[in-house]
Amino acid sequence: MSKNFYHYPAWVRLWHLANAVLCLFLIVTGFSMLYSDPDNGLVVKFQRAVSIHNVCGVLLTISYTLFLFGNLFTSNGKNYLIVMKGLGKRLWKQGRYYAYGFFKGEDAPFPVTSERKFNPLQQVSYVGVMYLALPGLFITGWALMFPEFILKKFLGFSGIFLTDQLHVILGFLVVIFLFIHLYVSTMGRTPMSNFRSIITGWQESH
Amino acid sequence: MILRKYPVCLTIILFVFSLQANAQAEYQDSLPVSKGAELSLYAGDNETNCLVCHGKLIYTLTDTVMGMTRKQLMSGQNLVIPGMFYNSVHWSFSCLDCHSAEFKTFPHSIEARFEPSWGCIDCHGYDPNYEQYRFEEIDAEYQKSVHYTATDGLITCWKCHDPHYYNPLARQTQGGREYIIRSNEMCLRCHSNADVMGLITDENVEIVLPKHEWLPDVERHLEAVRCIDCHTRMNDSVLVAHEVMPADSAVRGCADCHSQNSILMGTLYKYAAKERRDEKGFVNGVMLRNDSYVIGANRSKLISFTGLLIIGMTLVIALMHTIFRIVVKPKEQVHE
Repeated sequence: MSKNFYHYPAWVRLWHLANAVLCLFLIVTGFSMLYSDPDNGLVVKFQRAVSIHNVCGVLLTISYTLFLFGNLFTSNGKNYLIVMKGLGKRLWKQGRYYAYGFFKGEDAPFPVTSERKFNPLQQVSYVGVMYLALPGLFITGWALMFPEFILKKFLGFSGIFLTDQLHVILGFLVVIFLFIHLYVSTMGRTPMSNFRSIITGWQESH
Repeated sequence: MILRKYPVCLTIILFVFSLQANAQAEYQDSLPVSKGAELSLYAGDNETNCLVCHGKLIYTLTDTVMGMTRKQLMSGQNLVIPGMFYNSVHWSFSCLDCHSAEFKTFPHSIEARFEPSWGCIDCHGYDPNYEQYRFEEIDAEYQKSVHYTATDGLITCWKCHDPHYYNPLARQTQGGREYIIRSNEMCLRCHSNADVMGLITDENVEIVLPKHEWLPDVERHLEAVRCIDCHTRMNDSVLVAHEVMPADSAVRGCADCHSQNSILMGTLYKYAAKERRDEKGFVNGVMLRNDSYVIGANRSKLISFTGLLIIGMTLVIALMHTIFRIVVKPKEQVHE
């Protein structure tokens, strides 16, 4: 029996859209720089990739700041507060559901309700990406845009070298997150229902 | 007649012919005496004949006729700093090996000044001992360069490589940052100063920094690569390319350096690249040796491999999960 309820307010949907589009541009141009090759038609031209990457990076920082304010001043923020007690158990439960229970037709252990937007696995991964990976990417990304502020040497390595390595590692993590995020989104009531709800705002519950 | 009419001329002529330079060590450069000076068979001769004046920033002129002495500054062009000379690759030579014996007399005769000076190729060309450096090819490249063609050969080898102080920079500086800075200093001596360039050409020459403002973070770029990496025609058969091209032919494409096939591997890092193709598990890892990290040309193989592996595994798991979903058809999922 499904029950529809308004789940994603307009600002969250708009922010999510901006976040998704900008991240896609950043990933494509980021890979284009990392694997820069003028003879490869698959990668964006280096100079263009740098410009697009810089512009999108700045825009993403702005959209992220708005998201932070949104989370601070609306109830959306509470979805990102992890209750540590029993977390391991809840994660296991959700993981088991994805790997096994889902196929057996079991009920989702943490179904989406108007009170609970994210299941434990979503919550942990979203907090990891939004509060750790993205801020790390912003700090290292802005530093690479203004390299004169980067330490020349750190632990015997060039500061720029270390900053860039961290930026690349975090970038890879976001790409991995994106693939998992997209796939898990197909596991709603119907394969398309979650995509529909992030556009319309209305969620069909299990 | 003239002399009677112009007694001042007579005085000057007498003065010039009676000049005698004497060694006065009071303003001796404070450079330590190098091992070369102790070893060189000719150090004594050099000192007595030439360095007595040319090896001093302030030397003493003596007018033996009038009995006057005068302290003079040696002009930069004619000054040879002994400590640096004896540290150069040419430390073991006598001054007169390269300069005419006529310079032994003072004042130096006009004939001595008209003698052609040697170029690198005159000693090093066609010599099997120097075959590996390919001086003949370097000379041919130089003759095609703008330094030769635009000045009728007046900008000789010596303008950049002073034979009195020459040392192979790469060997001396281990190819690090200092190498790049010192290599660029050779160019900047003239090209960073519009007034100096004005001595060479009447054209309105733009100096280095404003001309390179199209480069993002220009100063960092100019610290990390040699001028010649972009301004010479690449040549695989010599270690350092010498065909300096006109400014409008210089490399301008970002991806020429910022790519896996970076031209820097055939220019700045050619020597290191030949020595060790791979280093520290990085694509073009030799670039990391002088603290350079070139986005697009450097890439950690470990991070790339691990990242791509995890992405691949994620996709495989998602695919397997999808196949299970198709086969098992979980009850809760409604297919539209």
